[in-house]
Amino acid sequence: MNLFRHLKLAITLPVFLLASISAYAHHAFSAEFDGEKPVEVTGVVTKLELINPHSWLYLDVKDAEGKVTHWGFEFGAPFSLKEKGVTKATLAPGTKVTINGFRAKSGKDFGYAVSTTLPDGRVVKTGGAQDAPTAVGS
Amino acid sequence: MNSTLNRHWSPLYLVVAMLMTLSQPTLASEKIPRLANGKPDFSGIWQTTSAANDDLEPHSNRKDAPPSAGIIEGGTIPYLPEALEQKKRNFENRETLDPARKGWTLGVPRAVYYPAPFQIFQRQADLNLVPQFGHSVRTIHTNGSGHPTDPNDWWLGDSRGHWEGDTLVVDVADFNDKTWLDSAGNFHSDALHIVERWKFLDKNTIDYQATIEDKNVFSRPWNIEVILYRHREKNFQLIEDYRFTLDYDQFYPPKPETK
Repeated sequence: MNLFRHLKLAITLPVFLLASISAYAHHAFSAEFDGEKPVEVTGVVTKLELINPHSWLYLDVKDAEGKVTHWGFEFGAPFSLKEKGVTKATLAPGTKVTINGFRAKSGKDFGYAVSTTLPDGRVVKTGGAQDAPTAVGS
Repeated sequence: MNSTLNRHWSPLYLVVAMLMTLSQPTLASEKIPRLANGKPDFSGIWQTTSAANDDLEPHSNRKDAPPSAGIIEGGTIPYLPEALEQKKRNFENRETLDPARKGWTLGVPRAVYYPAPFQIFQRQADLNLVPQFGHSVRTIHTNGSGHPTDPNDWWLGDSRGHWEGDTLVVDVADFNDKTWLDSAGNFHSDALHIVERWKFLDKNTIDYQATIEDKNVFSRPWNIEVILYRHREKNFQLIEDYRFTLDYDQFYPPKPETK
């Protein structure tokens, strides 16, 4: 009986670990984003895609000269956002938000959103990657 | 003698033939599988023999598809001008752009006519459709509920069905724009809206019709129709076909082009 229990553990534990590792690899922050390149942008939401496994927020960011750049930020899964009270209505097109995060390794205008400051001043943790820095500068 | 017999039997044949004709619809509707509540029961493993997944539209043979008359009522898809250009670009690059080739969820209605079996598990409150390809489960709710007021952008949309006689009518909405309608680059936006009609032709055959609407891509709603056949081979079963690792790793999770 004891042997069976050990055997079961010996089999299930590596399977569980393998599953965790592969999920981790697929959703890793470090695969796409650069922890050395923090970004903070303020812009107007054009679209929120509530898609599994990762949501994406797109926004237009205007610089000092008035030039508009279109940015895309990776958010967590729709359900985790909903748990924090973030829905399509919260981030409807036209909403002004500030995002703190990290830029894509490619250097293109994509990033990972650690947190998002909503128009009412509420700061919401919007990223979902397990290996991401929890705050910009940490 | 012969002519006497003929005279004698002819009216009887006529009566029998009439009775058979009259009773046929009743017999057919009695024979289709039904749930305890009397609604048609689509449980089983189904697959189309059509070439719809190669290209919904009529096409001659090409290296990646045999010829087909297509499955669209009226022949072609009524694209808006800009969308038609996008479709042409998709077609030219279909070998690398087709979401199914990346192992992504097939979407609706493609999962219905993709050339692989799918299984329906049906209860009074819902039907659950499990395609062999990928790891998706599509639930069609038949409990009288409507689309959610705060939807996500689902890969398979949100399906709400109701019965019109023996026809299951399903309203599907709240999609994302990451799936295609076939492997020829026919596509849609996240404004896709589909109304499906599922109906038994006999106990082993389903007539599947869908009206496809998308104000961002098509100039008007358009209709498709395919026939689905029940798999009746001995011990037939779905075998997992999940495109998860190795060659597919680069495509998961789906993301904008960040590289």
